[in-house]
Amino acid sequence: MLKIDNLGVKYGAVSGVKKIDLLVNQGELVALLGANGAGKSTTLLAVAGALKCDQGSIVFNGQDITLYPPEKTIRMGIAMVPETRDVFPDLTTHENLKLGAFIRSRDKVGIEQDLEKMYGLFPILKDRVNQSAGTLSGGEQQQLVIARALMSRPKLLLLDEPSLGLAPAIVDHIFELILHLKNQGLTILLVEQNAVKALQLADRAYVLSLGTVATAGPAKDIASNSDLASIYFGN
Amino acid sequence: MFNKNTMATFFILIIPIVIIVIGVDLINIRLLNRLAIILCINMILVLGLQSFMGNSGILSFAHIGFMGVGAYTSALLAMPLRMKSMALPDLYLMLKTIEISPYLAIFIGGLVAALLAATISYPLMRLSDAAAVITSFALLVVLHTVMVHWSAVTNGPRTLFGIKAITDIYLAGGVAIVMLFLTLLYKESRYGLLLRAVRDDQVAASAIGANLSKLRWIGFIISAFMAGIAGGIWAHFITSFSPNAFYLKETFVILGMLVIGGTTTVTGAVIGTIAVSVVFDGLRAIENMINMAQMFPKPIVGMTEVVLAIAMIATLILRPGGITGSLEVGCWPSIKKRLYHR
Amino acid sequence: MIGQIIQFTIDALSLGSLYALMALGLVIVYGILKLVNFAYGELIMVTGYTLFLLSGSPLPWIVMAGCGILMAVFFGILTELIAFRPVRAKSVTAVLITSFAFSTLLQNAALLFISPRSRQVPLPDLFTQSVELAGVIIPLRNIITIIFAVVLLILFALLLKKTVLGIALRAAASEFRMARMLGVPANLVISLAFAISGFFAGVVGILWLGRIGVVLPTIGLEPLLIAFIATVIGGMRSLQGAVLGGYLLAFIDISLNYTLPQDLLQFRDAFTFSFVILLLVLKPEGLIKGPATGQRT
Repeated sequence: MLKIDNLGVKYGAVSGVKKIDLLVNQGELVALLGANGAGKSTTLLAVAGALKCDQGSIVFNGQDITLYPPEKTIRMGIAMVPETRDVFPDLTTHENLKLGAFIRSRDKVGIEQDLEKMYGLFPILKDRVNQSAGTLSGGEQQQLVIARALMSRPKLLLLDEPSLGLAPAIVDHIFELILHLKNQGLTILLVEQNAVKALQLADRAYVLSLGTVATAGPAKDIASNSDLASIYFGN
Repeated sequence: MFNKNTMATFFILIIPIVIIVIGVDLINIRLLNRLAIILCINMILVLGLQSFMGNSGILSFAHIGFMGVGAYTSALLAMPLRMKSMALPDLYLMLKTIEISPYLAIFIGGLVAALLAATISYPLMRLSDAAAVITSFALLVVLHTVMVHWSAVTNGPRTLFGIKAITDIYLAGGVAIVMLFLTLLYKESRYGLLLRAVRDDQVAASAIGANLSKLRWIGFIISAFMAGIAGGIWAHFITSFSPNAFYLKETFVILGMLVIGGTTTVTGAVIGTIAVSVVFDGLRAIENMINMAQMFPKPIVGMTEVVLAIAMIATLILRPGGITGSLEVGCWPSIKKRLYHR
Repeated sequence: MIGQIIQFTIDALSLGSLYALMALGLVIVYGILKLVNFAYGELIMVTGYTLFLLSGSPLPWIVMAGCGILMAVFFGILTELIAFRPVRAKSVTAVLITSFAFSTLLQNAALLFISPRSRQVPLPDLFTQSVELAGVIIPLRNIITIIFAVVLLILFALLLKKTVLGIALRAAASEFRMARMLGVPANLVISLAFAISGFFAGVVGILWLGRIGVVLPTIGLEPLLIAFIATVIGGMRSLQGAVLGGYLLAFIDISLNYTLPQDLLQFRDAFTFSFVILLLVLKPEGLIKGPATGQRT
């Protein structure tokens, strides 16, 4: 479904991507692991079109999207949940969600149905409907951002560090949710610091190091074969 | 003191200035002489603006305000006493009795501008982007408002007259060369190097922290000093002026010269000043000729500025580095080849 | 006494309404692009000259005013296309310079093609009539200004609150990149911001000209400076702040006019701008705390 070839992105002084090859099949949950600065977030942002690629190609459902701007990739069906979360702080929860469905603004009925679905999936958001998103807690914001991404009815969901900085109970809740989405058939590319948890959910995993792919394989093999510490401290 | 490339840059950039100065003196036409003096003064202003803007990457609108400070200071200090009691009857007693050499007065004008910049600008230096630009704009408005309304010292919005005419082409050209040297010296100094290093790198900028303000501050003071000197030389050339000379119109011309020449290099400042001056004066002459011949029912004004504005926008779109690009002339491959590998 | 209070209130409110609209037009672009549009004042000039050029025509005045506003919108979009879009990706400084250059360009084009001297604009009688209220004579144009501003502010708030495009505009103002990742087209939003900015400039132009009666090439500078101060007071990022800043500035101005002796009054601009500098240094977020906003991108 998603095929990345020889991707290279310059980004700041530390976290560039040198050469990454990666494949995500329909219905798969693929985990992207590695130390800070290995290039995980950069890869996701490049797929979403938010960063310019310097080399290589990104192909999605047979279409070359390497040069697509972000407003075009989302129309292709790629939704992004960035690490920085980026809720719109001045907008209410409801408005944030509505904006998630921006690309299908005409489908008023469908949007109303999806809103109800999201409030069912994330009951806490229902309590916060008219609160501005900036006042939500970290966990609530994370749920809001995931729900917002789902409002576009994506084919591929890019999740960047969804558990970052959240309390353990909420982390469990988020991972349950990811599993639920996977079971519904959504294709997911997941970047996660919490390698143990990510490998429990994932079908396959890639371990990045210094902007290249260090190891790749079925999640079970990666979990059992490699020393997880080495993933983070670079062999 | 300089490395080979900077040395080469300095000597190459002197050539056009020397040619202009000597050429104008030889040809000896009053209009040309006048234009050349203004060109040299503008060059000092542009070099001053380059010292701050080129190294820090921050746009400053306040520059011409400091030119005004230098102009009024030197005019007040060097004006003949009899003239002074006529031109500025309400002047404070202490200033009323002072008359010093105009050359010294010009220098003091530069120092006062630098001192003023030093006292008020430090807290502004940590601002970046739009906030920095708005504060510098606000600073220009403040300086202008004070000049317009401080009647006792500036004669208010009216023209201040009676300033000695001492500026000739050799003074203007000579000072331009000294300022060229100063600009290069600052650029290659530790402070200039550090400031340029953090210019485009936010990570490095935050790492250097409070020092960034200090680095920018030094650049701002140097730039204000040069603007003040230029103001003094201009005042002693034009001999009568009003605060309106130091406002947005002049800011626009100076900025245009630097942008078209290339903001990041001293070469750009020199080449931009010369190129824009030649085109500007040429257009002005055409404008005057058209008006003199009364080809149109009403006089033509503003054409020159329209052309300059279009040139500025076009430069920034098509060639953001200006005519000269990002390298000093001493580093251009073709020049280096001639200098070192015959 | 009551008369004086009414006089003061109407003066402050009508001037404040003008200032608020001016500030709003400037801040809507600043909020999304984090860039100052120096050519903003010239949009007001464009409205003025449109009125002047149409003055001989048989059109009813209201149509002329509509054309004036439309031209401001058009030039607002033109500003974006010429001065902003081509250099937007390059550097902040470059955009500020092009917008300054564009402002000078428009001003001098007016000098060149029309006249350096001021020109009378056509105004309906409504703008010169006045009414008497509790013994005070109040120019009708002040009341028109207040009503116009209130109606526009309400309409604008509704647009931002209730329409998808309005929500997208607010979203783009705080998290531009994220808004794009949700499919909000960047160019459209930016053009829209400039169009709205032009619309406000046009309305301000009509009301401002209603006060002074003439248009000249430098007419834009004062509104630009006023909008600067108001937005700085209100906190550069927030729309509500800009509106409040506008009213507050008018209140201060009118109070100073009523109280300050003449020889100090002439330094009013120096005082206000020193205050602006101090405010930017000490409280960059403004006196009135706007809503929390995110990182600039």
